[in-house]
Amino acid sequence: MTTETLSETAAAAPKFSIRTVLHNAGIGLALLALIVFFSLFTEHFLTPNNITNILTQITINLVLAVGMTFVILIGGIDLSVGSVMAFAAVVAGKAITLPGFGPAEAIALAVVAATLTGVFCGFLNGAISAYWSLPSFIITLGMLNIARGAALQVSEAQTIYSFPFAFEEFGSAMIYGVPVVFLVALVLVFIAWFVLNFTVFGRLIYGIGNNEEAVRLAGHSVARYKIAAFTICGLTAGIAAVVYMARLNISSPIAGIGFELNAIAAVIIGGTSLSGGRGSVIGTLLGAFIIGVLANGLILIGLSDFMRQMITGVVIIVAVILDYYRAKYAAK
Amino acid sequence: MAAASLAAAPAAAPDRAFLTVEGLKKHFGGVKALDGVSFSLDEGEVHALVGENGAGKSTLIKILSGVFPYDAGQIVLAGEAYRPLSPHDAKDHGVQVVHQEFNLLEHLTIAENISIEQLPKNSFGLLDRKEMNRRARKALDAIGLTDVDVTAPVRSLGIAHRQLVEIARALQSKSRILILDEPTATLTERETKRLFDIVAGIKADGVTVVFVSHHLDEVFAICDRVTVFRNGKTIATDLISETTPEGVVQRMVGRKLAAEQEEHPDRHALGESALRLENLVTAANPGSTGVSLDLRYGEIVGISGLVGAGRTEILRGIFGIDPPQSGKIFRDGAEVRFKGPRDAIAAGIGFVTEDRKDEGLILGMPIAANISLANMGSVSRSGLLKLAEETRQAVASAARLTLKYGRTSDPASSLSGGNQQKVVLAKWLARNPKVLLLDEPTRGVDVGAKAEIYAILKDLAREGVALLVVSSEMPELMTLADRILVLAEHEIQGEVKRPDFSEENILKLAYGQTPGAGENDK
Repeated sequence: MTTETLSETAAAAPKFSIRTVLHNAGIGLALLALIVFFSLFTEHFLTPNNITNILTQITINLVLAVGMTFVILIGGIDLSVGSVMAFAAVVAGKAITLPGFGPAEAIALAVVAATLTGVFCGFLNGAISAYWSLPSFIITLGMLNIARGAALQVSEAQTIYSFPFAFEEFGSAMIYGVPVVFLVALVLVFIAWFVLNFTVFGRLIYGIGNNEEAVRLAGHSVARYKIAAFTICGLTAGIAAVVYMARLNISSPIAGIGFELNAIAAVIIGGTSLSGGRGSVIGTLLGAFIIGVLANGLILIGLSDFMRQMITGVVIIVAVILDYYRAKYAAK
Repeated sequence: MAAASLAAAPAAAPDRAFLTVEGLKKHFGGVKALDGVSFSLDEGEVHALVGENGAGKSTLIKILSGVFPYDAGQIVLAGEAYRPLSPHDAKDHGVQVVHQEFNLLEHLTIAENISIEQLPKNSFGLLDRKEMNRRARKALDAIGLTDVDVTAPVRSLGIAHRQLVEIARALQSKSRILILDEPTATLTERETKRLFDIVAGIKADGVTVVFVSHHLDEVFAICDRVTVFRNGKTIATDLISETTPEGVVQRMVGRKLAAEQEEHPDRHALGESALRLENLVTAANPGSTGVSLDLRYGEIVGISGLVGAGRTEILRGIFGIDPPQSGKIFRDGAEVRFKGPRDAIAAGIGFVTEDRKDEGLILGMPIAANISLANMGSVSRSGLLKLAEETRQAVASAARLTLKYGRTSDPASSLSGGNQQKVVLAKWLARNPKVLLLDEPTRGVDVGAKAEIYAILKDLAREGVALLVVSSEMPELMTLADRILVLAEHEIQGEVKRPDFSEENILKLAYGQTPGAGENDK
């Protein structure tokens, strides 16, 4: 049969075109270019200390962005992650400072409290927007306020501190100069990558982002997957809260303001389409790096923090414009 | 009927022709939408355009109103070549269209809607509300809508009045040609009569009215001439006074029907009842008495009818997408209630939807992922994908359906229309359905792939699958089906059995011309 031979040869010979390589490696090349640029034009960029710095700086954003990738892949958005992170941190801060627990139990209690708080908020985001088919933009905007208010209420607007010493140790621990918290974030990236590429769940997340109706007509419960995506996003906000507490050794109810925007920026710069269905968590990893490297490098080069902010803004816009051309290219 | 007198009015003389269309052609990709359209319009006549769905009427209207350019042929308007560049340009030439779908802005007032194209300004450059309302009043009075307040928002109007407001809007600027695209589709009888009175008034003012309709009784009530379309061509233009509804239907059908019908597939014994409907009423038309039918294993039943007759709604109702309002569904003789597609799929039903792009396929995702979409269980274990197994199954079903593709990891969008449709089929065949619902299974599919899809469907029936096929293409139904149910107004008007298959028999039912159902003096 002609068709059989056709498909066999096709399966045997994977086609590598320069186009697909450029398409997929574009973000990586951009990151590489930035690194080369800053290495050449600043003295301290490529020093071990500074690399550790960058890794530490991007960790929280990366954790938040991993969850955000799921939500954006289904065509949603979560504006509440910064507030939810603060809320989770405050709840965990209350838990960890409860009297009568040893350090190990207190830390475990805090981790559970933070993740459950995040999961609860994320679940609400997903359930409300899926059940009434409301735009997640508005629902999570509401949650942004609710979680921030709850954080201030629970903490009575006070910063919570004096955590067990072991917790602080974890926050500043390194392995060969790599912060342990960054490794935690990397593990999350790996898990997300695996889930998105090798599970039925991940397949349907992409499917829903591309064509919700086709997925529904194929007999799948779209609402359930949407709720799951937001719950994952809430979970990563809870994990980010733990990282934040461990690093700073405090829980502040005003932490994480604007973090949602940095997380969204990392996902978008990483090439995930805001309309959903297209993108990858590896892209998100690179996107978080680009933001972190830019922030660090521009300050080393001597630009003010304001200039840095402006340039980051330009990068976001350029990334979306590039994505426009990529989509147009792909459609042909 | 009051408007009936119009038909008796003498048809315009040929020398008054002021729009002539000659040899008009238009392609969309490989599809010939118009393949030689010629006709003329006289000043002050009411001219009907009729033809089956997809015969080219809508394309012609869109060309005349400047939505699409045309590929070949020529149009002459009032002695000058006419090639509208945009809807705006067409309007400047006095060609106005009242579309089937409404173009009104619901939250604005009637007056704002009527003046939206050219809002009056006062000497400060601000909106002149008084002038705007005055113009709107004048426009509505002109078509006899004296009882409607122009400052009311459009959303407060019923469907019929919206239609009339659209007409008022079209008429307020100097129109020479007014095209009404199925204006009565949503109107009640009384409203239709009012519309006809308005058309008579417009005609008296010397405006040419082009009237597109599926309702031949209306065409015969108000039109002077009728042009029949078939397969993108104009077949003939007749004076209404010199033809009959039967004559028009015959022109729509054409002579050669026999060819495909002759090929009689070897009939096989039919099994038990696979799917039975009892007075199934869909949300789209809660007023009807519903649809009853009985589909047996090994049988292919066709559903014919005009667009809007409620064909797709039946399939969506069965599949649990839009839960039916009332009525019963029996699967293997037992009553079932599907809460969603999931339940229907679990009951062994598959649904090949009409719209590949929006409902059938995930175009951006790999072919293999599309094929496994409804059957994730067989390509995974405890939630983990078995990618090799998925590819294996995709290659196997691609071979079965003679799919022409590169790799199963290529996106579905890389395939041609016919092959995309095969992927949709493959998705459902992967589940080995007992009942397969198909909505326009070969729309946008080239002739070769069509024949292949027909062969696949017939094989399925031979294997005992029950198939319910909705199609606008009558030759398709006549090739595939054991019997054809004809739907109009969300009710089955009748059934045509294989020996009686002819486009004429089907069309007569679809247009309500059967003795008893037709000849309606409503």
